Parts: sequence; C-alpha cells; structure tokens
Amino acid sequence: MASRDIVHYDTPLSKAFRWFSAVFIGFYLIWTLLPIFVMFVSSFKDLLEAFKIPAVGDWMGAAVFFDFSPTLTHYENLFRNLNFTSYIVNSLVAAGGSALISVVLGSMCAYSLSRIEFRGKSDLFFWIISTRMAPVVAVMVPLYAIFRSLDLVGTLPGLILAYTTFNLPFAIWILKGFFDNVPYAIEEAQMVDGATRSQAFMSILPLVAPGIGAFLVLCILFAWNDFLFAAIIGSGGAKTLPVATRELVQPQNIQWGSIMAAGVVTTLPMMLLGLVIRRYLVTGLTMGAVKE
Amino acid sequence: MAKVSIRNVWKKYGEFPAVKDLNIECPDGSFLSILGPSGCGKSSTMRMIAGLEHITAGDIYFDEQRINDLAPKDRDVSMVFENYALYPHKTVFDNMANPLKLRGQDSARIKERVGQAANLLEIGELLHRRPQELSGGQKQRVAIGRAIVREPKLFLFDEPIAHLDAKLRAHMRGEIKHLQRTLGTTMIYVTHDQLEAMSMADTIAVMHEGELQQLGSPREVYNNPVNAWVAGFVGEPAMNFLTCDVRGDGGEVLLAHPNFGIALKPEQVKCLNGRKGGGSVRMGVRPDALNIALERPAEPAIAGEVFVNELLGGDMIVEVQLSDARVRVKTSPEFPGNPGDKCYLTVNRDKWHAFATDTGKAYF
Repeated sequence: MASRDIVHYDTPLSKAFRWFSAVFIGFYLIWTLLPIFVMFVSSFKDLLEAFKIPAVGDWMGAAVFFDFSPTLTHYENLFRNLNFTSYIVNSLVAAGGSALISVVLGSMCAYSLSRIEFRGKSDLFFWIISTRMAPVVAVMVPLYAIFRSLDLVGTLPGLILAYTTFNLPFAIWILKGFFDNVPYAIEEAQMVDGATRSQAFMSILPLVAPGIGAFLVLCILFAWNDFLFAAIIGSGGAKTLPVATRELVQPQNIQWGSIMAAGVVTTLPMMLLGLVIRRYLVTGLTMGAVKE
Repeated sequence: MAKVSIRNVWKKYGEFPAVKDLNIECPDGSFLSILGPSGCGKSSTMRMIAGLEHITAGDIYFDEQRINDLAPKDRDVSMVFENYALYPHKTVFDNMANPLKLRGQDSARIKERVGQAANLLEIGELLHRRPQELSGGQKQRVAIGRAIVREPKLFLFDEPIAHLDAKLRAHMRGEIKHLQRTLGTTMIYVTHDQLEAMSMADTIAVMHEGELQQLGSPREVYNNPVNAWVAGFVGEPAMNFLTCDVRGDGGEVLLAHPNFGIALKPEQVKCLNGRKGGGSVRMGVRPDALNIALERPAEPAIAGEVFVNELLGGDMIVEVQLSDARVRVKTSPEFPGNPGDKCYLTVNRDKWHAFATDTGKAYF
C-alpha cells in the first residue's frame, strides 16, 4: 500500500493562503449557519421579541437575540390550527414514494443499461439523461395539462409521478455508474452457482447499496424541498410543507412566527436524515469514482 | 461427473470468429487443460461450456445431453474465476454455502458440506472472515471451495492461479491436481501458462487464434508438436528455430545452415515427403536437446560464440550466437564458458524437429 503521508512544506504564500482560507471558512460558516440559527431561535420567540434588533455598530447588543422567554405558541398554531400534520405526511409520502419508485425502477434500468448491449443503447442513455436538461419551468405548462386531463392534479399519486419523472433519469444515470463498477464475474459466479438472472441481479444489490442509499437521499431531498411541482401539481389536495409555509404569507398578515416554526419543521427531518446517513452518503458518492 | 464433447463449435463476436470449428472430447473424470495465449478463444470456449455465452454454431454435450440451450444454473457445473469473484459482502462460509443455498439444501447439510470442503482446502479457521480480509492465496482457496461444495458434473477453472505469486502458484498446481484426482470430477482448466497445463493436465488442447492446434497428452504435445507454433509455445525456455536448406549430398540428406550441416536419419528423410533437394525448412530444437562444449567434439558440431550466460540455480541457460541467429542451450551450472568464448553445440538427432517454412506444419 502506498504511503498516505501527504508531504507539505510551508512557503510564505501558502501561510498567507492558509490565513485567507481560515477567514473565508469563517465567513462561509456564518453565511450558511446564521439564517438557520435565526430561524430556529425566532420560532420560539413571540413576535415582539423576534423583531428586537440592536442598533448598527452595537455589537454587544447582539445579546438581545438570546434575551427572550421561549414559547411554543407557533408550533401549537401550526399543528392545532393549520393542519401541518397532514402536510408533513404529504411531504413524506410524496418524497418517500417517488424516491422508492425511482430507486426500484432506476436500479433495474441502470442494471440493464450497464450489462446488456443492444443497438441504440448510447442514444437511449443520452435521451434518458437529456430529459433533465430542460428547466422544469419550461415543461410545467404541458405537464400540467397532461396531469389535469388525467385527473392527477392535486393528488398524491400525481405528485409522486411528477417527482418520479424527474428523479428517474437521474437515478438511472447515477446507478449505472455504480453497476458498471461491479465486476461481471460476481453475477456470473452466481449464475453458475445456480441463480437465475434476476437472482443474480438481487445478489449484487448489496454491492451498490452505497450508491442506492446516496441516491435515495438525493431523491428525497429533491422532492422534500421542491416548491414548484408541489405548488402547481400538488396544489389543493396534496399540499406539502413548502407550499403550506408559503401560504402563511398573506397579503394582510405575514405570520413570521409560524413561518419560522414551519421552517424548522421542514428543515429538521432533512438535517437529521443527513446526520444519520452522512458517512454513507460520502462513500456512496465517491465510491463510483475509483475502480478497484 | 460427465464426459464433455465439444462438436464443431463456433463463437463469433459480430463478424469476428473467436472460436473456429472446435472439436474436443474430454473423457469422464479426466483433467483437460485448454492452453493458449490471450485472445486465442480459450476463455470463450469455457464460457460457452458454462453457459455464460451463447454458442454461435455447433453443439456441446455433457455425456449424451446437448446443453446448448440450458441456462448456467441448469448445467450443473461449477466454475472458479480468474479474479475469484467472491461476494465481498458475505463471509467465507456464506460464499461457500451460496451454491447449496441456491439449490435449496437444508442448513445442516450445508454446514456439513462447507465444513468438509474447508477441511480439504485447509481454510476451516477462515470461515467467519470476509474476502477483503484474506490474502490472494486464501481467496483462491475460498473460490475453489465454493466450486467443490457441490458435486457438480464438471469443474471449470478459468486461470484460477494466474494472480498468485510464483511460489504459491507452484504449490497450488500440486494442490489442484491432487484435488481433481481425489474428487474424480471431470475438470476443464483454462490457462495461458504452458507450465500449468503441462504439469497438471491429462490432456492438453492447445489453441491459437480460435483454432485448436493440437489435442494430446502433455508428453505428446511436448515431444511431437504438430506445428511450429505449438512447438514454440510449449516448453520453457522456448524451442530454438533455425532456417535450414535441405540438401542432398551423395546418399545423405543434410540440413544445411551457414554454421553447420547435419545429416538426417533415413526415417526423418521419409517424413520430408521427397523434399530431398532444394527448399528450406525450419529446424526446431529444444534447449535441453542441445549439448554445449568449449572443445570441438568428434561428431559434427555447430560452431558459435557464447553470447550470455543465465544462471537459474540448478540449470544454466547459455545463449549462443551463430552467424545469423541466437540459440538457447540448457546446460549445467558448471559450464565454464564466458561471453565471447568459442563453443560447439551438438544435437541429439532424435530430438529435433523440422517444420514447413510456410505453413509451420511439422514434418517430424
């Protein structure tokens, strides 16, 4: 095995660069984490406290952010009056459903594309991925017309179908790379050992599990965070969290507290998911890069 | 156990024929080695036998059953792959148990069979490990173990020890041969290493460019190669080839070379089909059929100059420069010659060969 030692010698330039990097990372952390922090804290404040902002230049006044009496009113409002439980369920079903369908169909398709040679294969593969090249907005109107004529607008199956339409090509594209890295011999050994082709396919799934796991997460993230499809295709019967949050902004009354609480409710599950599968996700996305 | 008959088999990839009209009979319980360089069609042949590739034309029979259209799982063969093809996420035990599980054996029987195979291969203490925790040789044993837990009709070994180091390879050659004798199962063993084929097989099928060159016992293939290609491929160090003129000189027929002229035996002359005068042949002689000396011997000898000595421990290979070619001679390490010294080669006249210059076909 090669040495893992990465040799590094300091030069004045690299020292300066290291300083610059540290400062940059500091700013980047504030830039990305502060909004989430404000959202989180504000969701426990009542409206008056939430808008207490120190004067410009008064750095000590930042303490005012922490000077509040925590309240759960906003969360109570969300779940008691605003029916957020069902929106969470809608979001979960739409995201989970489409991710699951995409992974099942996607892995079968990716496997076939990886293993079987046929005429026009590269064209087919390009066509599959090219469906992702048009911006969603561009196809939204025709898609809406199709969905409406099929009575799918405002239903969860409709929303799942919409997400699957966009996740599936992505799934095929990513998973094909993972299947390409599995040596043929493993399935061949399975088949000689007495497995059918489909059993052999199932037997190599554990080898692409990191890829499937990583992709599952990406699908769920896409669907969970999506606003456009949810607002147009899912509007009405299949309202998801982002859409429900958006509706808290009314012309006469912007419910800041509830919006912050809804933001936390929307963000938290994905952050938890991210924490749980972090290691998995990283191996999954980098594994395909290096062939054994 | 089964007899394997390969009859007029072709394999084409698009228009390219990888295997051309192959005919091989492998008797029940014997050890057949398919030998050839990479791209000679040997692996394609094995994969057709296993059912991993379609047979373009011709038939393959196990005993009297035609197996062309059977799926691999229905052919009842087991195979060891060049890269082992172990399931990385399963333990050694599960790897070896897999063929039995797929065939629905009960767990007590699986445990017993895996235990037996593991004992035979001396990997009993590895059963709970995973493939990435094993060395190459151990992986190899596990792969063989997976093949022998069942009692298949036929073993197919596809260059199974090509990736091991030289010492381990020598050890495994003996082990595999012993294993095959012990189990008595028909074995087809594909290799590009002539030493493996020579040392293990009952029968060798030498293939080149998709065609079967020669089918015979290791001794036949070594001593009576059918053409120059087989002669050059089998044997290490490789056979020396010298282009000679055939010259009739009085009652004798000579093989004439700028450095020498050696009389042929009458039965060898017969094999040349009347090419007594004129024309050239390729003379082939193995390094171990040549003797080298620094003094001119009494019998006719080939004069040359020592080019380089290679000491291989128990043997020495001396490369001798003739006027237009170099030949390699196998001799004892005591040979005193140094590079640049004049030396003389004598040939054991029973142990040389003559091949047609155009087709390479052997005269004798």
